[in-house]
Parts: sequence; C-alpha cells; structure tokens
Amino acid sequence: MMKRSWLYIMLAAFFAPACDKENDDLVTPLSANAFPQIVVFDDEGDGGLEDEDAFSFKLTLLDRNDSTGKEPAGRIIPLKEAVTVNFKVIDFQGFSKIADYIKAVKALYEIDDCTTSEDKGIDVPVQFDVTTGIGSVSFPAGVEEVEVEFEVDEDLFDDKLFNTKKRELTFQLTGITGNNTQVQANKTAAFNYSIQDDEGIYGEWEVDHKNAAEFARFKALFGLVNEDIKNLQASEVDEIAVEFEYGEVKVVVKLVEEEDVEECGSVERKNKEIEIEASIEDLTDDELEGDVEFGEKLELDNSSIAEFVYKGTFKVTGKKLVIVLKGELDDEETSKVTLTLEK
Amino acid sequence: MTTKWIACCLLFLLPGFAWAQQAIVKGSIRDAVNNEVLTGATISLKGTNNVTATDVNGEFLLYAGTGERQLVVRYLGYRDTTISLDLKPNESRVLRIELLSSYARLSSVLVMGALQGQAKALNQQKNADNIKNIVASDQIGRFPDPNAAEALQRVPGVNIERDQGEGRYVFVRGLAPQFTNVSVNGEQIPSPEADVRFVALDAIPADQLASIEVSKSLTPDMDGDAVGGSVNLITRTAQSSRPRINASVAGGYNDLMRKGNIQGQLQYGQRLGKQEKFGMLFNSSYYHNDLGSDNLERSPQDNEVELRDYQLTRTRLGLSTTLDYKFNPRHEIYLRGLYSRFTDREWRRRYVFKPEEEEIEKGTKDRFEAQSITTINLGAKHNFRAFYLNYEAQYSSGRQNTPYDNEVTFVAGIPSTLGYNNPKYPDITATNFTDNKEYELDEAGFGHTLAKDRNLTAKFEIGIPYKWSNNSGLIKLGGKLRSKKKSYGITQDYYSPIADVPTLDAFEEDPIKKSFLGGRYNLGKPLNVSSFIRYFNANPSEFESSPEDKAIDEALEAYDAEENVYAAFAMARQQFNKLMVLAGVRYERTKVTYNSKDVVINGEGDLEGIVPVSDGSSYEFFLPQASVRYQLSRYTNLRAAATFSYARPNFSEIIPAQEINQEDKVATAGNPDLKPVGAFNLDLLAEHYFGNVGVLSGGFFYKRLNNFIYRRVLFNSPYPLTGTPMIDEIDVVQAQNGNKANVAGFEVAFQNNLSFLPGAFKYLSLYANYTYAHSTATLQSRTATESNPNAVDKLRLPGQAAHVGNISLAFERKKFNARVSFNFNGEYLSEVGGTSDDDIFVKNRIQTDFSAGYAINTHWRVFAEVMNLTNQPFERYMANKDQLIQREYYRQWGRFGVKFDW
Repeated sequence: MMKRSWLYIMLAAFFAPACDKENDDLVTPLSANAFPQIVVFDDEGDGGLEDEDAFSFKLTLLDRNDSTGKEPAGRIIPLKEAVTVNFKVIDFQGFSKIADYIKAVKALYEIDDCTTSEDKGIDVPVQFDVTTGIGSVSFPAGVEEVEVEFEVDEDLFDDKLFNTKKRELTFQLTGITGNNTQVQANKTAAFNYSIQDDEGIYGEWEVDHKNAAEFARFKALFGLVNEDIKNLQASEVDEIAVEFEYGEVKVVVKLVEEEDVEECGSVERKNKEIEIEASIEDLTDDELEGDVEFGEKLELDNSSIAEFVYKGTFKVTGKKLVIVLKGELDDEETSKVTLTLEK
Repeated sequence: MTTKWIACCLLFLLPGFAWAQQAIVKGSIRDAVNNEVLTGATISLKGTNNVTATDVNGEFLLYAGTGERQLVVRYLGYRDTTISLDLKPNESRVLRIELLSSYARLSSVLVMGALQGQAKALNQQKNADNIKNIVASDQIGRFPDPNAAEALQRVPGVNIERDQGEGRYVFVRGLAPQFTNVSVNGEQIPSPEADVRFVALDAIPADQLASIEVSKSLTPDMDGDAVGGSVNLITRTAQSSRPRINASVAGGYNDLMRKGNIQGQLQYGQRLGKQEKFGMLFNSSYYHNDLGSDNLERSPQDNEVELRDYQLTRTRLGLSTTLDYKFNPRHEIYLRGLYSRFTDREWRRRYVFKPEEEEIEKGTKDRFEAQSITTINLGAKHNFRAFYLNYEAQYSSGRQNTPYDNEVTFVAGIPSTLGYNNPKYPDITATNFTDNKEYELDEAGFGHTLAKDRNLTAKFEIGIPYKWSNNSGLIKLGGKLRSKKKSYGITQDYYSPIADVPTLDAFEEDPIKKSFLGGRYNLGKPLNVSSFIRYFNANPSEFESSPEDKAIDEALEAYDAEENVYAAFAMARQQFNKLMVLAGVRYERTKVTYNSKDVVINGEGDLEGIVPVSDGSSYEFFLPQASVRYQLSRYTNLRAAATFSYARPNFSEIIPAQEINQEDKVATAGNPDLKPVGAFNLDLLAEHYFGNVGVLSGGFFYKRLNNFIYRRVLFNSPYPLTGTPMIDEIDVVQAQNGNKANVAGFEVAFQNNLSFLPGAFKYLSLYANYTYAHSTATLQSRTATESNPNAVDKLRLPGQAAHVGNISLAFERKKFNARVSFNFNGEYLSEVGGTSDDDIFVKNRIQTDFSAGYAINTHWRVFAEVMNLTNQPFERYMANKDQLIQREYYRQWGRFGVKFDW
C-alpha cells in the first residue's frame, strides 16, 4: 500500500509541471517566419497639377527581416510567385464619372534605375473597369514594387479658375486573388490622388534674383540651412525656383556654371543646381492665402542632426505669390522675410 | 604507487613533522532516541589535541595513535560520552555512537522539531574551522520559508531582494549578489539568468535541502570568488537501514488574489544491505502559488505615474537524489543529483499616465518564464592509512527559457493631471480614462529568450594528517578545473498598426481583482492579450513588423561565452591545545572568451550596421587565507580570519556588445578587459554557546575592495577607445575598474530558550540577530564634465543596507509550538543615477510572519503559517524619502498542512 502511494506521489510530482499554467488561455502569435507578405500602397497619396496627363500609384511589400544579415534593418523580400492584387476606387470627388477622367491603364516595374519592364517589353497584366472603378494588377515574382499608371484626360480640370472644391480619387486594395494566406493585401489603408490647382499655391514660382534686395532676402532666408546659398553671388545664378508640390517644397537654384551629368549611359551638359527639399507640415491649399509650414532634418558639420522649420503666411494674386517666412535651425533663426515670387 | 609518491614528496617537504603509525577511526553519531544523525558533534582523543567533528551526515574520520585511547564525544544539548578503544597499528575501526539528550524536551516527541535543528546548526557552527552560519533542515521548517532565499534571510548578516514579495537574491553583509558565491553540495552552480553569475535562489525549494551553510570567511579549499560570503546548499543523504519517509501536504490562500495554493513534499531514504553499504534517498517537492501585487510607480523626471496590476502563478518543482555506496569503512562513492524547476507566469496590466504628452498608455504583458537548475555530482572518498583522497566530477546547468513574452500597448490622447500632495497615493485626474473606446493600438511585442549556462567541473583533494609534538594537524592539497559555457539567444518581434485596428474595448476582459490599492484607483476593464493575438493572427495585413528594432534588440542582447577556471590550493590545519590555526594559499586562473555583436546607429537614428565581435581576457589570483580559533572555554570561542578573495564581473559588463548611437552621441560598450574586484577581508568573532542549545555571538568585519567596478562616462571620447577612431567625439558609457570601496561593520546574534522566566514565559525562546555595516565607494563624480573628468563622488555601496536583522519569538510547550518572526531589511541604495537627484533607494521593510505547529504523535504534525501579517509594501524612493517612486503591496498569504515522518 505504502509502495503504491509512493508511486502515485512520484507520478504526481513528475507531472506537476503541467500545472504551471504555461499554456492557460495562451494564444501563440504568428512567428516572424509565418507572418505573411503584406502588399501595401507605397504611399498614402500623391498629387499632380490639373493639366497632368497621367498619375500612378505603386504597390510594394512590407520590409521583412533579412535572414542573410546583409541588411540588418530589414528589406523587401520579393515574392517567389506572382499574385494578382485587386483594388478599387472607393471614392472620387470633383467629377461625375471615373470614365470622364481615366482613359487607360498600364503597369510596369523597375528593372534597374534606367530600365523598366515596359522598356524590355515585359507585359505586366493589369485591368481597370472605368465603370465600376474595380481593377487588378499582377504583382510579379522577384520585384520589389509595381507601378499602376493611369492615363487621364488632361483637359478635364485644366481651367483658369481657382477651385475651392476638392478633385480627387481614393483607391483601396480589396485583396489577393485566390486563397493565398502567405501573401495578403492591406485592405484598410487607402491611396488618395488629388488634383492640384495651378491657380493656387501649387506649381513652380520664380525668385527675381536680379533684384538685389529680393536676392538678399532669399539668401537671408535659405542661407540659414545652406552654406552655398548663404555665400551665393547673383552673378552666379541662372534661375531660382520655389516649387510647391504634393507634400513637399523644393527650392532649386540653377547656377550659371555647367557640369557633365551622366544619366543611364548618356552624358549631358547641365547647369549645376543647389537644392533644398522640405516636407510640408501645414498648408492652406484650398484658399489663395493662408498659412504655410515646412521643414526637414539636416546633418550639420559636426555630424549631428538638426531640424529646420520655415513657418509663415502666403498670398497668391494672379501670377504673383507673396510669402512671409521665418526660419529656425537649432538655436538660430531668421527674422521674418517677405519674398515676392512669380509664375 | 602514486599515493606513495605523493606521501614521500610531502614527507620530504615537511621535515620535522611526524607520521607515527596510526589507526583510522571512522563512525557516525546519532540521537539514541530517534536515530537522527547529529551533525557538528566534536570527537576528540582524550589527552591530545586531536579533534574532529561530524559532517552533515553525522559522520567523522579521525587518524589516531595506536594503543589504549579514550574518545570523547560532545554535542550541545546532549550528555558527553566517552568511549574506550584499544587501537592497533593500521587498524580501521568503525563506530556507531548514540548520544542521549540531556533534556527531557529533546527526547520527547518534540525532538523531531525545532530544538534538534537548532542543535545541529549550532554544533556545526561551533566546530567549524571558519566563520560560518548554518541553517539545518529542521530549522528551515521552523519558518514559513518556501525557497532557499527566504530560508537564508534568517541568517545574521544576510538580507534578500524580493520579487513579488518572494525572496530571490541574497546579499551577504550587504554586498550585492554578485559578491556571493552559491554552490550546491560544495560546487558552484551556474546562473539560469542571461547576464549575471549569481543565482536566483527562489528557484530552489527549501525542502530539498539538508542544510544551508553561509561561510563568511574563506578557507583555501573553497572557491576564491566570494567577497561577501559563500552559500552552500546541501542536499539530503540516506542515513539508516530503516526506511525513512517524510511527507507533507499543505494548502493555502492568498488574500490579495483570493486564490489558493498547494504544496507537497515526499522523501524516501534508506540504506540497504547487511552492512548498510548502499544508501539511496529520493526527494520530491512541488509548490503551486497564485499570487499578485498592487503596484504604483512614478517617474519624477518625466512626470509620469504607472498603475500596475500584477497576477502571477508560480510553481516550484524539486527533485533530488543521493545514491552512495560504501565499499568498506574507508572507501565510498556517491552520486548526487538535484533538479529544480521554477516557473513564473505573469500578467501585468497597467496604465501609464503621461500628462506632458497628453497621453495615457494602457496595456497588458503576458509572460512565462521557466528556470531550471540541474546538478549531478559523482565522486568518491578514499581513506588510506596515511592520507585521504576525495575527488568529484560535476555537471551542472542553469537554463532560463521564456517561450513567450507578449506585450500589447494601446494609447489614448487623454490629458491628465497628477498631484503629489499625498506622495503615497498621487491624485490622478483624467476624464473618462477607463473608457476603452478611447484607446488605439500603439505596439505589440512578441518575444522569446533562452539563456543557458553549463559547468563541467573536476576536482580532487588530498588530506594528510600529521603530528607536531603532541598536536595533530592536517595538510590539504587540491586542484580543480571548471569549464563554463554560457549563451543567450533572443527573438523579439514588434508590430505596429497600418490600418484601423479596433479600439481596446474589442479586447477587454473582466478585472482580475475586486479592487486595486484598496479601491483608491479604478482600473476599469483590462486588455486581454490572448484576445488581441487572436485578432492579430486573423488579420496580419493590418500590421507591419519592425525588422530594424528586432535586429537591434537581438544583436545587442545575444552572446555566447566560454570561461575556463584552473585552481589549486595548499593549506594546513594545526591544533595547538586550545588554538586552531588554519592557513594556506589558493591560486585561481580564469580564461574567458566571448562572441557578441556591435550595433551602430547613425546620426539619423537608423541602424547602420551590426558587426560581429570576438574578444577575451584572462586573469589570475594568489589568495592567501588564514583563520584562527581559540577556545576560551568549552563553550566559548574567539575567531579571527584574514583572507583574500575576489568577484568576477557580471557577463553583462564584460561581454563586448556595444551600441553606438550617433543620434544621441552616446556609446555603451562592454569591457572585456574589466578586471575582477579584489578584496581583502578581516573578521573577528566571539561566540559563546549555551549548553541548553543557544548562542550569543558578536563580531566585527572589514572589507577593502580594489578595482571596484562602476559605470563610467567618458565624455567626448574617440571611439573605439583603442585603435583607429571611427568616431572622433562621443560619450562612451562603460563599466570600468579603478576605484576603491570599504565596508566595515559588526554583527551580533542571540538564540536561546528563555527558561529563566517565570510561569508560562519559560517556554519562550528568542532568536535575534542584527548586523550594522558602513560602506564607502569612490566613483567618478556624476557632476564630472569634460573639464574635470576625474572628480569623484563618495557613495554607499549599491545594495548595501546599513541595518539588517531578525527577531523571532517562539513558544514551545509539549506538543505545541508557535513562532512570530520579524525580518528587518534596512534601506539601501539600489541604483546609482546620472546625478545624486536620480539615485534610487529601497526603503526599510519589516516583514512579520507567524507559524505554529502541533505534534499529534511521533509521526504526524499539523502546521499553519501566515506571511506578511502587516501587509508591508515594497517601497523605493528617488533622492529623498518624500519622493516615492514605487509602492507595491502583496497582502497576506498562508498555508495549513500536515507533515508525516516515518
């Protein structure tokens, strides 16, 4: 009897770890290896001026851990087999029918910096029904992103009026064709394409660098973040442009001096350029006057990173833009500077 | 042949010493009534200074001169016994001696209880060559201590660091855990944790142990890497041919969680064969405990308050065995094994109020951790005519497996205000913060880690008895090799939403407790992690992983290391009448190699690269040790010891893993050239034992620590620190040597029956001890700048409490005993901050426990225990006592059960 009790208790002790609640109400999350490839829009949106003849969105894959260790921060691991990604227009404003705006569709991908699948005559299957707004595109194996380009009616919105109402289309992914659990589409994120009015702030504006006072003001403002601009002479400048684009401001100083620029195997003689790019943080783009704020991170001479911000107001009158800005970089700041730019 | 050669060499080296023809007297000493072995009994040859003591198994070995001899056996609480022997040259005499208690109480049924345990401990302590405290198994049972750490807190000069109210790490004389060496059956055990060497003793159930020894001074035959002290956990061995079965079953209740706990233990031991040559003992125990805590934390710098609601399930499984075979009285082999598995499932549900960011975080962590320790010792003891030889091989491993560590955090843009008029319970004002619809997913983290540490050890020891005039002595020589492999692997994935994941109300569950911190804060409905993971698994396309964070975490923390230790010692123990002198030297050489990875983060905060790094170091120590014991009277000893020892750096400090963050201009770097901390230790102790089993002792200690390790900031340093700089100027944070620390203090201890008191008070006994320690450590000043980098600050040693003590009052009459125990852990510096305003201290804490037992008969006893009667919180503060940064309450928990001894 005693021996049997001993046996029972030993068995109880042996199985005791089963009582440690290791698995009580436990749901194991998908491991990194089992986590599917996710197809997403590579951006939340884009925009183009009202006379553009095309727009596009790109589909890409989310970064994954690089098991080779070559890119420890992760990278896109291309698909091993092509999948068909379905999408649709979930909303559009500023026009009555999709068919009035979208005329054709094609898909392509980059083979290298100078070559696309289109250049090589590779067909990337894509279809889009302008009646329903539903489409699909093949995401080929071995590529990091695929671009779906829509040919649009460039005259539909190209008027001479400033439009305060939105003109835009919104796309969403609806899934992957077939029952592929290893590749999934992000079905809640959206891509918004907005048509920008070139009667408003969007577009390219020129600074009159031949006006000494205007040039000095320009240098005082943007010399804060760029030593080359700070030390610039008007005689060195061919042209200065400030471009307001979708989510971005570019300041481009085209110099008189030229240089040879090699692009995809051909050498071209071009003017040297000084460029400042910044993300738009705030912009009253549905009115002819309002607030503007843009900024970016900048690497300083001592290798540290600082952020610059330009903030102020603007007013568009016909072909003239008056912008009042104040710049800040670390502890340095400019006074309020007024620039008058022309289209 | 070899043995003769060794003996000849020693004879040659030690002229003037005599090895007369000798006999070997070997035996065991037991209680005449219950046959319990008596550890620490002294056995002396009358008229000589030849004295020895019984070991933990009640056995002794004496090399004696031949002829008519009288053996005197003494044991506190027992009558002295004299045995006449006629010993012939080269004879091996085996004795089995039974002693009678001098007190009726000892020979009654209660002999199984407290007093005999106390007698065992005090006899061993009294006869030890060095300064040590012993907790016998019977004593462990007197206090309601479920694990080895909590059993140790009753020892003078020992305090413990708790986790969720349960003892975990041991501080000896206030020195941090890395200064204490932890062994099982005399051999170091590896730490299951990834980046440290010290062992979390809550992984080892107390009822697996026959005794615990805390050595406060070293002898050359002990490992030298113990500055604070050396803790040896000794497992049990079969003692007699009569089968011994001990069992206990207990059930309990945790008042905070309103849940029960269960505990059981079963031990079987027996010696088999006509001559009891083969002994076997099996011991198993299991403890399942549902516990929790209500925790409030504050970050003064960030003006943030956290409310943490902990729920835990912990289990402890212990399995141990000892198999031994005695070929004859002089030769034996043994196999000892211990396996312990500690599991900890923790759910942490919390809010973080961030007024500055106008945010409130709410989330839950669900983590399971299993720590296991395995030790297997295979050894032999041989007693030859002129010397003895002991040798042993050991395999031990520590493993900490965290199969999952899942944490999900939601965030709400709700403004809050925090008020500290009552620093104990800050006022939190936030509109509708328990409304889970307000919380959106921030991040989900899923982790898995595995830490492994394995030791392979081989050692031997030769003891050569000799005579000098009429004084007996012993020369001991030995060597040891230990090979360690330690590694840590981690998998960590982070996911953030790329879509409109449902708000927290979709994943909520009912609260686990009726109230939190006495109903002062309403936590609403918490997040159920499993519910969230179900959604995550079903909708992975709504989440994106962060391979960069994953790569950084995994590269920074993972490593593997190898460490080989070569050690040798020589020592002599000489008895001069009442004076015992023990002196010798130990040599230890350590060779370490590491593999880890550097993480480089560029100026924009992005991961630039991960670079594999391999490095290593070696160091050696000659450690002279000397101890003396002078017997002022039969019951009074004076002791002194001067010893050298050291402490190896933690792996986390020495592995060369580095993070270079050019965005923050800070690099943290391991230091493979980090030297161990060297220590010189002085100890003085006077102890007076009472014949009725008690002791009064008092002593002083002093420690000087060289190459003390501290965290140093090297301002605007080139990086790497040696070789061609990759970065011209960056602040490098690195553990470095160079500063000194001193610790000095005294300790007093008293334990005895208060039988001189009138009436029922005479059944009281008192157990009390107190340790005071003062320390100063010199560190690079926190106010040091580029212009004065060598400025220094003087601080108390982190982890070192000035006051530590125990008071335990017991009532014991006939079959009933009851005890109330107070354990006092004084305030100590827990973390050294960037400035003195950031220093974090752990506040004083007194825990009050109660236990009682009733012996139904000689076999059955019932017991009851209640812990933390006064609901003492764990409290930390920053810089000043009014700035509390953590308060954690556990409420009371207890057990009721029955013990069986047959």
